[in-house]
Amino acid sequence: MDFNLTPLNKMVIKTARAFCETEIPAIDAYMKEHNDYPPYLQEIFAKHHMLGMDIPKELGGIGADNFNLILIAEEVGKTASTCMLPFFMNNSVAETICHWGTEEVIKKFVPPLCDGTAWASMAFTEPNTGSDPRALTLTAEPDGDDFILNGTKRFISMANKPGPGVFFAKDLSMKGKPFDTTAFIVDKMSPGITFSGHYELMGLDGADTCDVFFTDVRVPKANILGRQGKGFPILLRWIAGERIQQCAATIGGGQAALDESVKYGNQRVVGGFPMGYMQGFSWMLADMKTRVEACRLLCYKTVKLQDEKNKGFEAASSELKVLTVPLIQEVCRQAVQFHGSYGYSKEYKVEKIFRNAMHLGVVASSLEINKTIAGMTILTQK
Amino acid sequence: MKIIVCIKQVPDVTEVKWDENGSLIRTGLPSIINPNDKNAIEAALTLKEEKGAEITVVSMGPPQVEEALREAMAMGCDHAVLLTDRKFGGADCWATAYTLGMAIKKLGHFDLIFSGVEAMDGNTAQVGPEIADFLGLPLLSYAEAIEVGEGTVKIHQKLGDLTRVIEGPMPALITCEKELNVPRIPRMDLVFECFEKEIKVLGMADVDGELENFGLKGSPTRLRKVFSPKRAKAQVEFLEGTPKESSQKLVEKLHEINAI
Repeated sequence: MDFNLTPLNKMVIKTARAFCETEIPAIDAYMKEHNDYPPYLQEIFAKHHMLGMDIPKELGGIGADNFNLILIAEEVGKTASTCMLPFFMNNSVAETICHWGTEEVIKKFVPPLCDGTAWASMAFTEPNTGSDPRALTLTAEPDGDDFILNGTKRFISMANKPGPGVFFAKDLSMKGKPFDTTAFIVDKMSPGITFSGHYELMGLDGADTCDVFFTDVRVPKANILGRQGKGFPILLRWIAGERIQQCAATIGGGQAALDESVKYGNQRVVGGFPMGYMQGFSWMLADMKTRVEACRLLCYKTVKLQDEKNKGFEAASSELKVLTVPLIQEVCRQAVQFHGSYGYSKEYKVEKIFRNAMHLGVVASSLEINKTIAGMTILTQK
Repeated sequence: MKIIVCIKQVPDVTEVKWDENGSLIRTGLPSIINPNDKNAIEAALTLKEEKGAEITVVSMGPPQVEEALREAMAMGCDHAVLLTDRKFGGADCWATAYTLGMAIKKLGHFDLIFSGVEAMDGNTAQVGPEIADFLGLPLLSYAEAIEVGEGTVKIHQKLGDLTRVIEGPMPALITCEKELNVPRIPRMDLVFECFEKEIKVLGMADVDGELENFGLKGSPTRLRKVFSPKRAKAQVEFLEGTPKESSQKLVEKLHEINAI
């Protein structure tokens, strides 16, 4: 077993780090001022050819793999910038459309997600459900060559930005069948779609998360992703990949929390010598480092499984989240504690990292639902 | 247009350490493309975008210089040549310029050669001009702006507080200043592509030349000693009084030591 990164992996990290140092300060400054993403954000990622990582070159992608995408995610995560969300979303939705879509759908929707002219979204959550397809209330009723969609989606990222979103709806033409969830690729600027204002979140400053209201929204039948009534497996596969990216970014945040603590521990002088050398603090650093390292290794193992393509990685990505949520959240809490009162101040980066880390346990599937997936898989696998 | 860019891989430190023989201790130090050489790469890439060009990046050094060459290709250079041979080791500016010059002759036709003004680990600013001398090329050094015309090239040459505009016929060699441009970040797709490209590796036998001109043997300069200057501990004296009084005391002190 080789734990070493290849020269390619190392250059990907170096390049991602250079991207973060060069581009992200201006992006964050814009987001702080406008409480939203810069309208040209995806073009910035596209200019650096960071979209469509796992998409074939002929569709405008890079033709790389998810492992290298994870390395980038870690570096972006270290910055604690919310701009990581649209970056992940365009990558993961483009891959999902490529995996499940018809040739027509792929050619129509994937290239704009790679060249940065479109913003992707993925929308399952509703006011009364985040993981149960039977509880969906967004309905899709057939009408000629179209479906008419009515209802509400909740907590949707990048929903009010132009581009395609994959929306999961109760397909009324499948009434009486055991599975009635169908995935539709919807142009988010379609007539009949309106949005709420942005939710004020605990972390992820500047995120544009909002509700989406459908009133008689017409969507062509050709925009169905996968098969009718078979939408839920699309969500499960997508969210399994999204979880890995989300964990990688949060592990990056944990690493940054550790790095900030090491810096502070060397700089802050107490009783004539650097604070970090006191046993209580050095033990905290040891705890933080080993937790980050353990999560990173499981993350790499999980994404390698995803890259094997022919094996399921859904349960493995749930296991990753089961490990990462408590460990990295604790690392970030320790970093705040390490900084004392300064850690509770917005002057210090660890405050933002801590707030961001809290999202991992509840966004893109909760810790508890992942424990259920992982636990049930252990019980039922042969 | 064919452009050759000469680059050097250097340790990424501001305070390097040397062993007792005066050699750099490279172990544990990350390596980077010399910052001025990145300006040279960017200048070539800008010309490629404006006028079309094929860029070959050349470097002399140990096998690990491959990393710097691949990074240059990830920035957009088309080809890479690595000059590596134990007999090249210990080369001073003259021997380095000789080796690079002989290799460039082997590479065939070119219109322009770019290099950085100087390397951050040596600061001699000699290699670029000496390559021009070996190859009998016009030298346009310390460029902070470049304009390519029909068979000619014009630069703004940085001369302290002055800027001199000079022009020469092509082919020519230009050494690039940091004010010339802001080097780009490698493009992520090219990062992947650069590992699929072949790097041409040339040793002493491939570049011809006289054996006695390569490496330490061919170097007219000899390194006697490298040391870190000892820092004397300064005495700190507080000048008491009102701002006016302490200012007067300061002026007296400066007079005493003939500083003013």
